Amino acid sequence: MNSFSKAISTCTLTAVLVAVTACNDSDMGPEGREIVIREIPEAHREFKLVDSARERFRYQSRPANSAGEQSTGPQLVYTTPEGWTDEGRSMMRDVNFTFGENGEGECYVARLPGAGGGLTANVNRWRGQMGAAPLSEEEIAALPKKPLFGQPATFLSVDGDFTGMGAGEAKKDYRLLGVILSAESSGAVFVKMTGPRELVEANAANFDLFVSSLDVSTGS
Amino acid sequence: MAKKPIDLSPGNWPQLIYRLFTSFKVATVVFVLMTLITLLGTLYQVEHGLHAAKERYFYSWIIVEKVWNIPLLVPGGMLLMWVLFINMTLGALVKVRKRWKGFGMLVGHLGMLMLLAGAFVTHKASSDGYMALYPGMKSNRVESYRDWQLEIMPLSEEGKAEKAWVLPADELQSIRSDEQRRYETADLPFDIVINGFSQNATPIPVSAPMASEANGKEIDGFKLSQQQTSKNAEQNLPGCYIELRPENGDPIETILWAGSFRFDPREKPMPFTFEVEGQKYGALLAKKTWVVPFEVELNEFIFERHPGISTARNYESRITRFEEGQPEKPVEIKMNEPMRYQGYTFFQESFGPQGSEPGDEMFSQFAVANNPADQWPLWSLVVTGIGMTLHFLIMLISFVVRSFTRPSKTTAS
Repeated sequence: MNSFSKAISTCTLTAVLVAVTACNDSDMGPEGREIVIREIPEAHREFKLVDSARERFRYQSRPANSAGEQSTGPQLVYTTPEGWTDEGRSMMRDVNFTFGENGEGECYVARLPGAGGGLTANVNRWRGQMGAAPLSEEEIAALPKKPLFGQPATFLSVDGDFTGMGAGEAKKDYRLLGVILSAESSGAVFVKMTGPRELVEANAANFDLFVSSLDVSTGS
Repeated sequence: MAKKPIDLSPGNWPQLIYRLFTSFKVATVVFVLMTLITLLGTLYQVEHGLHAAKERYFYSWIIVEKVWNIPLLVPGGMLLMWVLFINMTLGALVKVRKRWKGFGMLVGHLGMLMLLAGAFVTHKASSDGYMALYPGMKSNRVESYRDWQLEIMPLSEEGKAEKAWVLPADELQSIRSDEQRRYETADLPFDIVINGFSQNATPIPVSAPMASEANGKEIDGFKLSQQQTSKNAEQNLPGCYIELRPENGDPIETILWAGSFRFDPREKPMPFTFEVEGQKYGALLAKKTWVVPFEVELNEFIFERHPGISTARNYESRITRFEEGQPEKPVEIKMNEPMRYQGYTFFQESFGPQGSEPGDEMFSQFAVANNPADQWPLWSLVVTGIGMTLHFLIMLISFVVRSFTRPSKTTAS
């Protein structure tokens, strides 16, 4: 190795060491990453002060939880199938129907911000309520789709013994029809129908009619 | 003949390192490994998206790859490119015999070194973000797609703030979901403790059925549910548990969620508000922002839909560029005609708000990219091309000259 080569080699390796050291600046610990002060630009100095976590987490645009209250946010519009009874909104349900002679069939719509727990978890939670085994992500991805708000939503139909939230004893020979739209940006929407298998089978077309009619109207 | 043993004495180390780095075998191994990580990165991208694949395979030093659950260490793109850069610099430019026949190869290797240098500059110095404006709005502020920072600001009663204390995005986003980190600054009368940061999360009311599956602590009737990160990193909405510990008084705990920031340029962010020593403060997860050296005012946003449906057919923005507060030039930015100015490129990217109907006022969103080395790949290919052409010409001339000067063999009969 002649002296010219030595000089070039030394320069190259030194330059590389300096550059590599510079690359590692993001690995510094908390001591090196001080909290910094920044001036807020004129156009962004106003903040919206809200009173509750519900509002901060954008639950304020959901319809009010009693029929008497009016919401200024987006409202759900839909077609009520014949023979279904609108039970009004409840805490977690934007739309709530019963059907069947004794109101034993149930169908509701719920919305949550973000992905609402994720598609996989919700599909398997519903399957668990029917006593069915969980599905893998690949199996869930292969489930059929139905249009909901103009987007392809995952559809599932599960037969089994239904144990709903807080229910003690399983209801025998039930069927669950469900549609889940789980979008990070626009929020998650769940439409779920449960009831005795024959009753749900007889109302399957009504379920499709209801799901396809769901839309959002920006009411004032 | 017996092979001469390698001299491993410390005095010979520089020579050994030099031989290693200039080895043609090392270059070959690096190229094979680069092909491998390109393949692995491409497959990973399908499942996890472009951003995650770049971070894992091309910006990393070492990759831990599991093969049948056995962890295997693979050199990352950063390590391979550095080794290749050193190898090419020393092997192809320094060690190589300097003769006129090798001039084309020398130029060709210089071109490849430019390509590697360009990749480094792009990685370290480029930025991308977006600017969303309604007609009439003017701004020089660009927001990051993916980087979120913690901001704490003293608020007036009307909800106004002039300055904010910022925990930078690279620090905040390095906190794991099961990790606690504490920060303090002399300017604030409380310490800030982050109790776990999730890259993608949703606050779920405890009354919701899926809340039972969320592991986090319940605060104000909500739990933070960790979500699988999206393939498109910009769609992730991070969240964290935060604790503010005043010197005197009880700690204040809350959940911060990126969804409380704005989705629309006219929206005001909704911070968590609290009071310490009589001063109202706000805490917020906010997008990382930076400024460009000129302002852009949106004069008009033209949006055409396909007849009968709401799908966009064409959209473009008419803007005025301002330099030091003075209007400098009107510009049209169209879908395939970006504005390039002072090293920044403004692309017509999208529009909003989502679900807007004909007649609704809409905002225009520009993708803003800044890459000092964006033309380097082109120049490096030109230089490499010239080098290869020179090399073939030199070889051709050399062959022709040799053919004419070589004495012809004659056979006596």
